Amino acid sequence: MDLKEKIVSSYVAFEDGVNMNSDVHEIRSKAFQNFEKLGFPSKKIEAWKYTSLNAVLREDYCLFPNKKKTVTLPQVKDHFIHDIDTYKVVFVDGKYSSFLSETTHDNFDVCLMSSALAKPKYKPIIENYFNKVAKQDHLTSLNTAFVKEGAYIHIPRNTEVEKPIQIINFTTGTEDAIMTQPRNLIVVEQNAYVQIIERHQSLTQNAALTNVVTEIFADRYATVDYYKIQNDHTSASLVDNTFIEQQSESTVAVHTFSFGGKVTRNNLNFYQMGKHINSTLKGITIIEGKQHVDHHTLVHHTAPNCESHQDYKGIFNERAVGVFNGKVVVEKDAQKTNAYQQNNNVLVSDRSTINAKPQLEIFADDVKCSHGCTTGQLDEQALFYMQQRGIPKKEARALLMYAFANTVLESVKIPEVKERITKLIAMKLSVRIGFDL
Amino acid sequence: MLKIENLHAEVERKAILKGLNLKVKPGEIHAIMGPNGAGKSTLASVIAGKEDYEVTQGIIELDGEDISELDPDERAHAGIFLSFQYPVEIPGVTVTNFIKTAINESRKAQGLDEMSAKDMLKKIRQKSSLLEIDRKFLSRSLNEGFSGGEKKRNEIFQMAMLEPKLAILDETDSGLDIDALRVVANGVNTLKSSNNAIIVITHYQRLLDHIIPDFVHVLHDGKIVKTGDASLAHELEAKGYDWIKEKIIS
Amino acid sequence: MKYTEDDLREELKTKEYEYGFYTDIESETFPKGLNEDIVRAISKKKNEPQWMTAWRLEAFNAWTKMIEPEWPNVQYTKPNFQDIAYYSAPKKKPKLNSLDEVDPELLATFEKLGISLEEQKRLANVAVDIVMDSVSVATTFKETLAEKGIIFMPMSEAIQKHPALVKKYIGSVVPPKDNFYAALNSAVFSDGSFCYIPKGVRCPMELSTYFRINEGGTGQFERTLVVADKGSYVSYLEGCTAPQRDENQLHAAVVELVALDDAEIKYSTVQNWFPGDQNGKGGVFNFVTKRGLCETNAKISWTQVETGSAITWKYPSCILKGNRSVGEFYSIAVTNNFQQADTGTKMIHLGKNTKSTIISKGISAGQSQNSYRGLVQINSRAENARNFSQCDSLLMGNECGAHTFPYIESKNKSAQIEHEATTSKIGEDQLFYCNQRGIDTEKAIALIVNGFSKEVLNKLPMEFAVEAQKLLEISLEGSVG
Repeated sequence: MDLKEKIVSSYVAFEDGVNMNSDVHEIRSKAFQNFEKLGFPSKKIEAWKYTSLNAVLREDYCLFPNKKKTVTLPQVKDHFIHDIDTYKVVFVDGKYSSFLSETTHDNFDVCLMSSALAKPKYKPIIENYFNKVAKQDHLTSLNTAFVKEGAYIHIPRNTEVEKPIQIINFTTGTEDAIMTQPRNLIVVEQNAYVQIIERHQSLTQNAALTNVVTEIFADRYATVDYYKIQNDHTSASLVDNTFIEQQSESTVAVHTFSFGGKVTRNNLNFYQMGKHINSTLKGITIIEGKQHVDHHTLVHHTAPNCESHQDYKGIFNERAVGVFNGKVVVEKDAQKTNAYQQNNNVLVSDRSTINAKPQLEIFADDVKCSHGCTTGQLDEQALFYMQQRGIPKKEARALLMYAFANTVLESVKIPEVKERITKLIAMKLSVRIGFDL
Repeated sequence: MLKIENLHAEVERKAILKGLNLKVKPGEIHAIMGPNGAGKSTLASVIAGKEDYEVTQGIIELDGEDISELDPDERAHAGIFLSFQYPVEIPGVTVTNFIKTAINESRKAQGLDEMSAKDMLKKIRQKSSLLEIDRKFLSRSLNEGFSGGEKKRNEIFQMAMLEPKLAILDETDSGLDIDALRVVANGVNTLKSSNNAIIVITHYQRLLDHIIPDFVHVLHDGKIVKTGDASLAHELEAKGYDWIKEKIIS
Repeated sequence: MKYTEDDLREELKTKEYEYGFYTDIESETFPKGLNEDIVRAISKKKNEPQWMTAWRLEAFNAWTKMIEPEWPNVQYTKPNFQDIAYYSAPKKKPKLNSLDEVDPELLATFEKLGISLEEQKRLANVAVDIVMDSVSVATTFKETLAEKGIIFMPMSEAIQKHPALVKKYIGSVVPPKDNFYAALNSAVFSDGSFCYIPKGVRCPMELSTYFRINEGGTGQFERTLVVADKGSYVSYLEGCTAPQRDENQLHAAVVELVALDDAEIKYSTVQNWFPGDQNGKGGVFNFVTKRGLCETNAKISWTQVETGSAITWKYPSCILKGNRSVGEFYSIAVTNNFQQADTGTKMIHLGKNTKSTIISKGISAGQSQNSYRGLVQINSRAENARNFSQCDSLLMGNECGAHTFPYIESKNKSAQIEHEATTSKIGEDQLFYCNQRGIDTEKAIALIVNGFSKEVLNKLPMEFAVEAQKLLEISLEGSVG
């Protein structure tokens, strides 16, 4: 039985576990019909031209893991940013783990999607924001059809959340291959401020597929600083669908660090709905073996005087494949837009591949848009120079790559995240960090 | 030559010039000084006819003709030259090509034939050596990648080529080192004659050591509040603009 | 008086297509529609050998199974392929030995186009082949070329006189089944130019083809094949115009270039098909397949100035098969009113140390849409491949759009690919600066546009550069200088 068939035929079983007489279930059913029609995306679709899910979809995934496995803190501690105090929302195999979580707080909501969908208290927010900015495409529809659990974060006006919030999804794979579909909703009201770190991590070598959808709303003058750390086992695949809607004067930055995983697909979409908005999209990808990382970004400028900055760096070793598809749309009314996009890649091995498609669609005339895309090797001159000063070639090469990737880290605002990523990069590139970071 | 009476002008509905009077006769050099935001650059743009600047009251006459309704290019044809504080870049258009076009358009407006290639070259050669301009510079794209000094020198070179009746130098000294300042000033002085006039707009007295003005005007809050001779510039340099402001208040 | 963008737009609207006239020459046109019989009839009309007829039929059969591409960023009502006449020839088709025998009316037409043959012959060192509707009507300088062993003649004639050469190379770069329009062209092409430069010969003059669609309701499907043998060099020019008509006319040409070892082909196009009127009515659909193949150390350089057509769908490409081969693409695409252009190039790097350069300049005005679509593909064996791409867009007014779709696929670590793109508009500051120096707004825009396009204009042969510059002014400006 292929995966689509399995998913479709299990829908009735899924419905048994949710409240079917709700507005939310209306949305689910519609999305389900949509998925039934669309199925999984194939390479014939332009947006999936360079990324095939075939190998990933061949696994026989368990869709509703039953047993809740106990996970102890020491087992997973390394996957947290643990050296600072943070709020934590932790899920194990798609189920909330109150034991690992830490959500005590006063004037804002960090809770579960399941309760947000059920309790009247949250109804106004759910009605206004849930499934509003998410696209109705193949995989988002699939996620929406099975919406049940995830993180729900609501920051009211003028609230500055004093410490970062970590959203962490563990998969244990006790049931062999496992598929999870977390759904996050993050609403940041006027002049509020929040930092969020998101991570998906499997704890065994069993195949795992995560199809996550995150919707983020940043109201006027709000600031959202978001980090995605992707360093999973090479048996785990991830489709990350993130949709961000921004109002006037808001600032949202998303940093995506992709080091692990089998097939990772990031669909990161920014919709700017007001003036003087700032959007930042940055990423570092360092992969090897047969890993595959695909970044699809969209920045949609609809109003005047907005900015967007994109900077993605990729290092591809062995038979790794990288994809970057960055699309910037500037609508007619979006005069005085400044949109910058950079994508630089290094192919380390003879068998690695990069496919890049930086794309501009511009309908306004008073704009500054530029994109630069380079693919190449490390600077031989620099290598030689370093060797001449006594640094062995291997170290010199690693150092150069390290420096190449590190420029993206400048805009990371949480020092501990920066330090963690720096270490990961160093590890990935086998650089000994004997120097000051 | 130039007569400005009771000039009021605004930008984006904000009044900048508030009743300015100025008379310039042939052969004269006027300096307009004043603190930042006094309206110095606005005055230059209004005389040249920049679109965003709206004249709400008053008159601007050149040789007895009202020019306030003319387009910027028509004013240029009438003999007004503005040396820009920030000259723009035009990629792909060489200095030579640009100046050729400018001269021939002016000639066309005056009912003259295009200047012959031979005369044009002769003129370019003559004027460029006057301003110590490297020939290679003439084949570069207009102002693209020019240093501050090169841009200003290029402005004065164009002034030399176009031979205007009235030249307005807007902060031409900014961004110039002492050598460049000397070259630019020498150029201006050589071009000076009894038939043309120059308005020098500047914040500092530095340039006025090289281009000696007949009159110095102090512009404050959209009006000329004091007029004197070259010594006024020195006084301003020594005492600063607050001194003027205080005098006005008292 | 202020000269506003509205004024500019108004002027752009009223600027008529200067080449929109119709030559009243009696012509022989096949009935509309396409089927095997029509394909056979075209082949018979041309007195073609059996292999050619078979080749056409195979292409036709493939075409019937293909679907029109949907991916270009253009919108139009698809042509009804059964409502097009696939063959139209000026009836008094003369066997011409010299220009004096050409129909005077036809000559007058070319005169209006600004390509008086007489003048060309006298002044410029250019040999011209003219294809009107579907038939080649005059080729100049034949004898001068023959002395060097250069073959430059209508495709129909080449099929008769040099069947071996044609058979060897036709379809070798653009196979008949390559794409929808290439298949259609392969089935019904009626003429075009054929050119062969022998080993080591440097063609002493520019070769030129002028295409013109004249008859209403016809399609033009010409086929050009240029073969540069080892170590030879040729510079080839192509110009296109069509009369102003209400209905859309279809132009689906195929151009194949073969550059053998150490050869160089420079192919320049100035395309000025009727773009439709200011309401977007009429105009030519220009669906063209152009591709060149480079063997070892060979070089192909495409230069194009695209100002016409209602729809342009065109990607002159280079297959860099041989080691050290070089591909270049220089393009200016101007769109105005309701024109839509989806154009760019493909650089396929197969050989080692291959190099490609792409410079694309798009200028959009009115309500037009201008897209650059390009592919740079580095094969895993293409050691040390290099590519540099630059795509700049200039927007005039805020009802038009500029788009870039660059695809970059690299499978080799030693490859170096650089892509840069910018979008800008003509700044108010730039206009004021020019105005202040006495240059009016129209002239200023012309000056700025020329500056913007210069890198590409410089790549055109002299004779063409002047014409291209004039065309740029006419199509954007009229108005603009």
